[in-house]
Formats: sequence, C-alpha cells, structure tokens
Amino acid sequence: MTRWLRALLACGLLFGLASTAEAVTRGGTLIYARYADSLFLDPVLNDANVDIWILTNIYDTLLQPTADGKDVVPGLATEYKMADDAKSLTLKLRPGIKFSDGSPITVNDVKWSLDRARNPKNGIWNFTLASIDSIETQGEDTVVLKLKNPDPTLVAALATFNSAILPQKPFEATPGATDEEKAKAFAEHPIGSGAFTFDSWQRGTELVIKRNPHYWQMGEDGKPLPYLDEVRFPVIPDDATRILKLQAGEVDGAELIPYARVAELKSDPNISMELYPSTKVQFITVNVRPTLNGKPNVLADPKVRQALNYAIDKNALAQVVTFGIGTPLVSFMSSATPLVDNHGPIYSYDVEKAKALLKEAGIAEGTEVSSIGLAGSADETAILSTIQQMWSAVGVKLTIEQLDNATRTARYRAGDFQMRVSLWTDDIADPSEITSYFAYFPNIESLHSGWQDKSVDDLFLKSQQEMDKAKRAEMYMTIQQKYVESAPIMFLYESPYPVALRKPVKGFVQIPLGNNIFSAAYVEK
Amino acid sequence: MSLNYVVVRLAQIVPTFFLIMVVIFVLVRLLPGDPTSAVLGIHATDEAVERINAELGLDRSIPVQFGLFFEHFLRGDLGDSIILKVPVMRLILERLPVTLFLTGFAALLAVILAVPMALVSAIRRDSLLDNTIRAGFQVGLSMPVFYIGIVLLTFLAAKLRWFPVGGFGQTFTDDIYHLFLPALTLALSLSAVLMRNLRSSLIDVLDAEYVDFARAKGLRNRLVLGRHVLRNALISTVALFGLNIGTLFGGAVITESVFAIPGIGRLLIDSIYGRDYPVIQGLTLVLAVLVSLVFLVTDLVQAALDPRVSHR
Repeated sequence: MTRWLRALLACGLLFGLASTAEAVTRGGTLIYARYADSLFLDPVLNDANVDIWILTNIYDTLLQPTADGKDVVPGLATEYKMADDAKSLTLKLRPGIKFSDGSPITVNDVKWSLDRARNPKNGIWNFTLASIDSIETQGEDTVVLKLKNPDPTLVAALATFNSAILPQKPFEATPGATDEEKAKAFAEHPIGSGAFTFDSWQRGTELVIKRNPHYWQMGEDGKPLPYLDEVRFPVIPDDATRILKLQAGEVDGAELIPYARVAELKSDPNISMELYPSTKVQFITVNVRPTLNGKPNVLADPKVRQALNYAIDKNALAQVVTFGIGTPLVSFMSSATPLVDNHGPIYSYDVEKAKALLKEAGIAEGTEVSSIGLAGSADETAILSTIQQMWSAVGVKLTIEQLDNATRTARYRAGDFQMRVSLWTDDIADPSEITSYFAYFPNIESLHSGWQDKSVDDLFLKSQQEMDKAKRAEMYMTIQQKYVESAPIMFLYESPYPVALRKPVKGFVQIPLGNNIFSAAYVEK
Repeated sequence: MSLNYVVVRLAQIVPTFFLIMVVIFVLVRLLPGDPTSAVLGIHATDEAVERINAELGLDRSIPVQFGLFFEHFLRGDLGDSIILKVPVMRLILERLPVTLFLTGFAALLAVILAVPMALVSAIRRDSLLDNTIRAGFQVGLSMPVFYIGIVLLTFLAAKLRWFPVGGFGQTFTDDIYHLFLPALTLALSLSAVLMRNLRSSLIDVLDAEYVDFARAKGLRNRLVLGRHVLRNALISTVALFGLNIGTLFGGAVITESVFAIPGIGRLLIDSIYGRDYPVIQGLTLVLAVLVSLVFLVTDLVQAALDPRVSHR
C-alpha cells in the first residue's frame, strides 16, 4: 500500500514539475500603468529615468546587466575579451541577429552606434564611453574598441542604455540637418533590436510596444522571447487612481506605489506587491563651504556634520517616511551597487555622541541650519520635519525651505543652499558614476557641496584605470571610508522599487538600475 | 445687438492677446531655473547645461529670443517642446479637444444641476426641500476637487463598476461614458456657485412687481416662470457662469490628473515644473484666446437676454 502511495506521490510530483516547466503562457497583452510618460525615445540624447527605464525593451545592447544589477551577461555580443595590456576590447557579434524591421545587425551598425553614443557633443551620457579612442571592425562579426587608457567600467558601460545598437541606414535616412533633428524624427517611429518593437505612442496617454519577431533570446519553452504579444503603458499620474485601476483589473501592473499603500496591497489576495532591490539612495547634500552668502557656515566643520548624522535616527526616519520599507544607508552608494562597502550601519543613532561632538565644535544651543525641500513632495516634507524634531533634541534648529524643482536645481547648481534633500539612482552597473558625482570634486564639485579631498580625487582617477578587480575594490573601500568619515551628506536610507502586479503576471523584473524588463514577462491564463 | 458690437469686441482681444504674449514670455524666463537643469536635475554638469542651453538659443538676450519667437509665431509656428521634442502646436492640437470636451461637458452638467434646483429652491423658499438642496450644494462647494474625484472613483468606478476608472474613450459615446465622472467632479463646485446665485436672483425677481402683474394678467405659472422670472434672473448668472469658465479650466488641471485624462491641464503643469518655455507660452496663448472667446460669448448671451447690454 505504501509503495503504491509513494508511486502515486512520485507521479504527482513529476506531473507538478512538468506543469511548471510548461507554465509560461505565450501571447496576450500586459498593461503596465506608469506614473509619467516617456519624453524622448533616443538612447543617446535622452536624459530622464522615464526614458531610461523603458528604453532597453526597444533597443538592445551588446551586453546586458544581470537581474541583480552587479554584473553583465552576453547580449547582442556573445563574447568580449579585454586585451592583456587592457588597451583594447574585442567583441564578437551573435550570428544571425536582426533589427525589428528584419534587417541584419552588422558590425557597421555597432561601430556607428557607439561612435554616436561617445560623441562629446551628443547628450549627457557620452562620459561612459570616454575611454574609447577609435572603433575598428574585423570581418563580419568582430568589433574592436581601441582605448585611450585601461577602463574597468567599459564592460558595464556596454550594458548601459546609451550604448544601444541602432540601425545606421534608416537613422541617417531620417530627415533632419543635425543628429538631434534626425533623432527627434527617428524616435517618432524607432527601429531597434530589443525584445519589443515600437508600435504607437499618444504622448501623455499611452505608449504601446509589440513583440519583436526577430529577437534572439530564447524563452524557457525553447522558442524566442518575448512571451507577450504586446505591452501597453498607460500614463496614470495619480497614485490613488493607478492603484484603483489595478484593483479593478483594468491594468496588470502599476509602478511607484506609495510606501503608505504597500502593506494594504500586500494583503490583497489578487495582487503581488513586489519590492525590487534598487540603487535608490535618499540623502541630504550638505554645503561645506566655509561661508555662505557672506556668513560663516557651521556645516564646514566635519565634526558638526558627523554630529548631525549621529542625531538622525535612520530607522525611525525610514519607518516614518517609507513605513519601514527603507533601510539605513551603509555608504553613500546603495547596497546593490557593485563594490559597496557594506559593513553594516553607519552613524547609528547616538544623541550623546552628537551632543559631545557639537560641544567640541563649539556649537551653541539653538544654532540654526536650513535645508531645501521639494515643494509638494510628501516624502521630502516628512523627512525634513522628522529630522527637525530629531535635531532639536541636540539643540540644532532646522529651517525648512520648500521650492519647486527648477528653482531648487538653479539654487543647488549655484551653490546657494546650506542643505537639500536629494535622491540618486545608478544608471550603470558600476560605482564610478555615483562616485564621480558624489565624491570626485572636478565633476560637479561633489554634488555642488564644495567638498574636496585631494586624496579621494586621486584615488578615483587611479581606480578609473585599475584593471585588477581586488585592487580597484580596495580603492573603493578607501574612498567610501574617507567620504563617510568626513560626511559631506546626511546618510539617510535606501529603498526598493515598489511595483504592484496582478497575481497572474509572472517573469517581470525591475533591476536595481531601474530598467523595467518585460522580455520574460507573461500573464498566466 | 449689432455686428459692429461683435467686431469691436473681437478687435479688443488682439491687444490683450499681445500683452499676455509678452508678459508670459518674459515672466517664464525670469523664474529661477532653466529647462536644461530642470530636466537634468542632479546629473546636470555645467558643461552640459551650457552646451544644451546654447543649442536651444537660451543664452541670447530676452528681446532677441522674443523677436525670434514672434517671427515664428506670425508664421503659425509655436516652436518645439524642449522636453518632449515635438512641435508645441501638435501637442496642443492633440490635447486641447480633450480638455474642451471635459470642460464643456462639465459646464453642461453644472447648468443641468443648477437651474432646476435653483428654481425649486426659490419657489419653495425656506422649506425643508430648499434647505436640503442648499446644504447639498454647500458640501459640493466646500470639498476640494481632487477629493470629490477620488470619492466618486472609489465608489462609482472601483466598487460598483458603473464607470471606468479614469482614462479617455475612443468614440463620442465612449468619451461621454469615460468623462462623466470627471465632468461631474468639475461640475459640482461650479453648479453650487451658479445655484446659489440663481436662487437669490430668482427670489428677487419673484418678488418684483412685474411678476405680480404677469400673474394678475392670468398667465399660467409655467409661462410666468419661463418668460419673465427665469429670463431676468439668468442675466447675472450668465455673467457669473462666463467668469467661472476660467476657474473650470483651473479645476480641469487637477481633475485630469486624478482621472488620468490626457488634456492640456496636465501638460501645462508639467511644462511649468520643467520650465518648458515654448509649451508654457503656447498653452497660455491658447487659454487666453479661449477665455477671451468665452467672455465674448457671455457678453453676447447677456446682450440677447438684456438688450441694454449692447448699448452700454
């Protein structure tokens, strides 16, 4: 009897396994509600996350970031090899690859696309490919990138949206006198090489992408990806409406769920409330210049910045603003960024230590500091008013100044601020981008804070040419330690991407860089 | 009312229009911030901002920029959106019909709600019915538009599934179905204003001697109300209605956001935040023309109701 039972159980298990292997559903439409529409579907000239996070579905890159955002895997190129002297990178194209219009992807398209992407006159992302000196093609499938100097970030750069491969001929045949004019016209009906192809776009209303029948990657069922026939992106800016639409089953997914609603949606049996790990860090930039508008700046003293960092209860702050979903920062970069110094919490809440440091720095009770917050942002208002209370416990009075985004940015760029709440997300699976903005002075004066540590600048430049992974990692440890110690920012918290999906939606992922990947997504029948 | 009157009124729009054009052009450029750094945000390097602003011609003096803008404007070209990289005219043509439909529908609903209720309220002055109607409209007037929107969406769309949760239709009847809730949301506060005004002027008129005279002549009640009372009471309400159309456009901005309707309201807000100068200029001009036309129509309707108006 037991033998029969076992056999039956084994059959059941086998059947169960077999059915999971066959579980992917092909065809159908997925409707994914976005909070804002894309602006410009050109991989090189775009400049906003609303574009970046959607672009790779239409335009494929030579290499692709992994789902954890820390490494790369082959894309349009099957292999890549760095020369021993690290002065050239050779890539082999995947055989038989095609653009969405059915025309073959050639080495010339690759050379042309990368030349366009690295042109210093084009857009704001060309820095990722700045080490390329020239590009050569060999035969029908080999591209060699000759480098000015060794570049450990290049491989990650080739997996980043701006290195996408576009078809040279149709692009150049597009009317327009300049590259930008052509790009504007081309982006109206782009041809790419991603899992999906552009179908239609009613600005501010809905973007529709359709299955690219020529896509190279294979699905679990041994047939080419993607599984879906179509993805529709209606624009629903209001959080409450986006969620109502999802609950009413009118859309299959909704992005940027407010943290306040996460717990409620988690308990909804029809919804999978996903929290995808992100590189999103929330912090306060501190102006460390000795004087501001002619007056002495108390925040020029590292001791005061350290004290104020100790005086913030990051766990409580994350509880208040993100309803416990965010976690305190461990460095200036997120714990999902490669080479992060993740040795646990920094500046753990310690009022006594904060008071002692302030005393040492000679800061009198009732000293005033100010911070800019984004007007209308619930998060920034909550952050600043919570910190205001926390700092009052150590005798520091925080004044909150609320400004609209453009005014805030203008003041920030002019160095006309004492502190401002900020948010950052990595665009490339490498720590160099965030470090060049946060810690390397020559780029933007370390987030316009005026903070400079010459040894950090030197170390960063060295790390940009260090091909030995262990040595580079060590350099990044030192950079992060020095930065954390001097504290030119208030380290707050990092938080995931909150996306709510209907239960039958499977295989979708938003990677830590923010890219929404629909190639393996499907809606279960 | 003569044709002359209409022509004079139309001609008066031109200088208003030019003044608005200059003021908006200068004002948006005097605001702190510029489109390039607004879009690039934290990624804005000095080099990139200077290069892109120069490409956009934003490094020139304001009079030179205005000259170029005006030259293009005379050719019917409002320029390209800096952020969306498409012609402003195209954006406006795509989105304006939606907003016009929404505000028109809302105005109609407001009238449908306000006029009969005001009549009932005025005739049954101070009765329980009158007080209930007034209290109801008072609630509509005091609730913020976005809140009414969310409440209607939650109950009538998400819970009862009588209406879709936001969006815009594909055909005319589909549009009416999709836009009913947002139009109702917009209509509620306007109808409250109209109803209160109409009720009090109806009461004034009902007490007037010529109404007593009309009744004394033996005219039927319906005729008295229609020909004498309503027509006279409507004069001030029509003026109020016209003035409030501008407010309706303002309310549309929020309603469009809550109901995910792709109108010009949302476009205007986004372009102000992004300092997308050409879009702000284009939209403001269109709105200025629309409001001027609404005022003109209001005056014409008032003149038709009260011939004294066109002789002033």
